[in-house]
Amino acid sequence: MEMNMKLEIISFGKISEFIGHQQVEISNVTDTDQLKSYLETSFPELVGMKYKLAVNQNMIQSNQSLKNEDKVAIMPPFSGG
Amino acid sequence: MSEKKIKNIFVNGAISPAFIADSIAKHATKTAIGGHSIFMGQIRRDEINGKFVAGIDYTAYEELALSQMDAIREEIFLKYPLNCMHVHHSLGMISAGEICLFVFTSSAHRKPAIEACNELVERIKAELPIWGKEIFEDDTHQWKENI
Repeated sequence: MEMNMKLEIISFGKISEFIGHQQVEISNVTDTDQLKSYLETSFPELVGMKYKLAVNQNMIQSNQSLKNEDKVAIMPPFSGG
Repeated sequence: MSEKKIKNIFVNGAISPAFIADSIAKHATKTAIGGHSIFMGQIRRDEINGKFVAGIDYTAYEELALSQMDAIREEIFLKYPLNCMHVHHSLGMISAGEICLFVFTSSAHRKPAIEACNELVERIKAELPIWGKEIFEDDTHQWKENI
């Protein structure tokens, strides 16, 4: 059975110039590593860029499973201060 | 459930010298303090490929930045004997020459205040999800990256 998952995608900095705030419905994606491949296919500008993900406001350090309605933030390197 | 209120470090626009002066003045009644350390970040009018930076437009993932800052604040208070710690960071367009970051620590003796202030500035730059878009005088832009 194919599982569809709804995710809310937000992005910041340079990445917000080509990935807008959006809801995506995707299949065959169950974790953050698979989501990265999906994003890099959908938005080739991401390939080769440094970025981090946060899921529901938690920074992702290593692969983590995703669930329906998660909110995923795509963040380029920080430049505050 | 914790009822602890998360402090908001963000201010819209530049941090004014009057705000900073007022912040210092408020500590006059805290007479256990013997040393203050202050860091202020100011927007540089960098020249890049013949164009000058007019200002930096700051945005942040505010909820995440505030929870990260709250954790940093607790760690710094555990590590150093501080009486006070204040952090303010600008959002929006800040012009060259204006202040965009104000970090203020106080302790009974100078060393904890100085070391905590340094560590805070380093951690703010490395760990908080804040982005600066450098706007040039000709209205083009580039995204800043902390190194």
